[in-house]
Amino acid sequence: MKELQELAESVVDEARDAGATEVVAEAVDSFASQVRFSNCEVDSVNSWNEKHVMLFVAVGKRTMSSDLRDIGRARELVREVVAAARHCPPSKSYKGIASGRFAYTRVRPDPKIVHLKDPGRFVHEAIGASEREGAYDVGGALTQRLENIGIASSGGASAWDESASLCLSVRAFSQPEASGHAVCCASRLSRMRAKETGAKAGQHAAAAKNPVLGDEGRADLVLEPLCLGSLTHSVTLMMSALRVEIGTSIFAKKIGKPVASRQVTFVDDPATESISRRAFDHEGVPTRKNIVVKDGVLKTYLHNTSSARRFGTRTTANAGPFIPTLWNLAAQPVPFHPSVLPGDWSLDEIVSDTQHGLYINNTWYTRYQNYGTGEFSTIPRDALLRIENGEIVGSVKNIRISDNMLQFLKSVDAVSRQSQEVEWWDEIVPASTLPFVRARGVTITRSS
Amino acid sequence: MIDEDIAAHALRFAGSKYAPVLVEIRLEETDTRTLAVKSGQMSYVSRSSDAGMNVRIVLKSGMGFASANGISKKTGEMLVEKAMRQARNARRKTELSIPPERAIDTKWEVGQRRSLVDVSLDEKLDFLAGIDNQVMSVGAKVQGRYYEFKDYETEGVFVNSEGARIRSFLPRTKLESHNMVSAKGDSAQSLREWGASGGWERALEWSVPRVLRDEVRMLKEMLEKGRKIKPGRMDLVCGPNVSGIAAHESCGHPMEADRILGREMSQAGKSFVTPEMIGQRIGSRYATVIDDPTVPNSYGYYAYDHEGVKARPRYLYKEGIINEFLHNRETASRLGMSSNGSSRSEFYLREPIVRMANTFVAPGDYEEDEMVGSIKEGVLMKSFTEWNIDDKRYNQKYVSREAYQIRDGEIVAPVKRCVLEITTPGFWGAVDAVSKKVEFTSAECGKGDPMQAMAVLTGGPMMRLRGVNLR
Repeated sequence: MKELQELAESVVDEARDAGATEVVAEAVDSFASQVRFSNCEVDSVNSWNEKHVMLFVAVGKRTMSSDLRDIGRARELVREVVAAARHCPPSKSYKGIASGRFAYTRVRPDPKIVHLKDPGRFVHEAIGASEREGAYDVGGALTQRLENIGIASSGGASAWDESASLCLSVRAFSQPEASGHAVCCASRLSRMRAKETGAKAGQHAAAAKNPVLGDEGRADLVLEPLCLGSLTHSVTLMMSALRVEIGTSIFAKKIGKPVASRQVTFVDDPATESISRRAFDHEGVPTRKNIVVKDGVLKTYLHNTSSARRFGTRTTANAGPFIPTLWNLAAQPVPFHPSVLPGDWSLDEIVSDTQHGLYINNTWYTRYQNYGTGEFSTIPRDALLRIENGEIVGSVKNIRISDNMLQFLKSVDAVSRQSQEVEWWDEIVPASTLPFVRARGVTITRSS
Repeated sequence: MIDEDIAAHALRFAGSKYAPVLVEIRLEETDTRTLAVKSGQMSYVSRSSDAGMNVRIVLKSGMGFASANGISKKTGEMLVEKAMRQARNARRKTELSIPPERAIDTKWEVGQRRSLVDVSLDEKLDFLAGIDNQVMSVGAKVQGRYYEFKDYETEGVFVNSEGARIRSFLPRTKLESHNMVSAKGDSAQSLREWGASGGWERALEWSVPRVLRDEVRMLKEMLEKGRKIKPGRMDLVCGPNVSGIAAHESCGHPMEADRILGREMSQAGKSFVTPEMIGQRIGSRYATVIDDPTVPNSYGYYAYDHEGVKARPRYLYKEGIINEFLHNRETASRLGMSSNGSSRSEFYLREPIVRMANTFVAPGDYEEDEMVGSIKEGVLMKSFTEWNIDDKRYNQKYVSREAYQIRDGEIVAPVKRCVLEITTPGFWGAVDAVSKKVEFTSAECGKGDPMQAMAVLTGGPMMRLRGVNLR
């Protein structure tokens, strides 16, 4: 969509004419359609369209951001924003935007997803597959997203990008307290595995039947990618330099130090094919693969240009949106596609090597007592399977993982060869590519 | 000013081409301003104007919701056609039926003594800088000191095919603070939020500089003098902040009828409550929890919900009995009831779903000092930091931010990170006294897919719980 790039460029020109010294404009035209289902049938089909320009301007150290939602009045609005910026107090923490000559790599989205008219058939396939595994109640969401972006900046950024994706989330119940969850992320239509996803949720639900109250104490945990993703969601946000600056990160003052076991390597790789692929960050800097934690040692924080200069380093091309977004701090650097690199175990080897532990399908509601030191708890949900002497021997319920996140990351001793791209609701966003892992001696608590 | 003819045109357009069970059209315009101060310095400023509309169409075969930014007759027609196509594509086996509601033609708004648009950026910056000055005056080591202030006004127009026509104007303010206090090699976080509907006067009423100065002083004391308690069974007094989160998490959420019916099952989850449990005991006779959107100038205030149903207080748990679910029109019809006005949407791009508003424990007749004075061995947990609850809303955990050991009716020492991990009936069944004064905390409640952050209050008086396990 060259048109959006041109729109962004015209906004930058207008802002500079009005007196802005630095400008970033990101024009977005997005469409999403979602089929929501529960009780084995569709509840509603929803869609939303947005076309807008996210604008950042600086007049010297005086800055202002705005979301221009009325494109027809863009010129007038841009001048208003620049005029408003002139009256802002200077921001000492603002250190500029990226400048240079940038080269971008674009990947053409799958036209079969772009032109998919009625994705509802995947929902019915997933429900049917879950039911065949014995599920009596199946629910979830199938979301189709199409996004076109154009970006331009006074620092030389100028590009456009487009993406298309499908994401299916299926939760199945075989009993009121026995459930399973599975997701499928597809940036190609041929990768949508609706039946397999529904069947997997159904199989987990069947395996979780007749759960007994889980035990308190320490256990070795084998986590599915879905479960790991709910944990790494909070962990990767704490890699943001802004979170480090305001004290809400376990990674503060730990560059060059061990923050996980040697088995753990975290990367943020927006350039790889995924449903959260991006060609450039929100400053227009081409994205790249960043190794954030290598063999357990913290290598960098995630930066935009301004935070990088405050830290005496260079941007990692992780500039977040210049306008406030849900739950995120304004203008904070963000991960785009976090991954834990695969290890050399098979899932079967991990389970058969575990003497006393739990296999966990999913978790949610991860909260921290202290984001600086990492004490947290999270509540496993869906299939919680007991492992004894290398075999799954039953299911449990009503437990909570209550531990320290740095300790948890350091306790990972097995990482699978197999990885899966996962995205789920608000718990795993953005999409992440993750393996199965085993963490040793994690603290389990429960209500008393 | 929204052109109401556009809503009427979309409604006529839908009616002229189709025969749906129900058509709803919602138009919104919002102006938003955000300002953030980090470590005493201006960090971020933004301002935006937004306008958009949505169309929801209910057929017997399904429901379709379509939304877009921009308000025009052409957009309305496009959304009607899209919503209709989507409703048809739902292809439900069980037919949808939504009984008619009384059509209301009205206008409501929240007044402002001082309009938010009249407050200059400099004045807001002074407001946030004043907070930072007070926090620093304590002399503690405080990292972060990040304060973000947001204010916005939303003008809305809602019409439906039953003849409802509701215009609204809702100004809101919100402040978030992030402080991390360090002392004696340890640290404690304070992540707090204030919110109200109304004008600038509401933000000033919060007295945030004084409150956060006292908070930092308290956290410093907790770090310097606090001790872990010896784990065991003892009595607990919950402060209003803890009463409020419990009311929200283990009463409000499980009483949302859409969760009970399974619609949120793959996202926020189901509920341990089933439709048959109305009338069953869940707590002691002191456990009354109300959700009331009509609390004046509250953060969760509204006069009519996003389906045009008049708001009213809902008694969720009443004297320990499961009493009334939160309903929208769809869930109410499925259970043979009428909506109690609980349908809300974060903004025009999102579908309205069942939500809480201001959820609080009803006051009792105890004085606050009686609550502590009556305890031989226990803990006063005034506020919480970490918390969570399972997706059926049965197993919850609250970790103290501010807590004190009680012995022989006296507060004797600060307690560090006291943990309550308890079931929902265990919590509400242990309540044996409730104080007179209700205090509120504002929050953004998360639910829906895509996630919708909803402005709510949680609150309550002090509650005394007998014989709970603490560690």
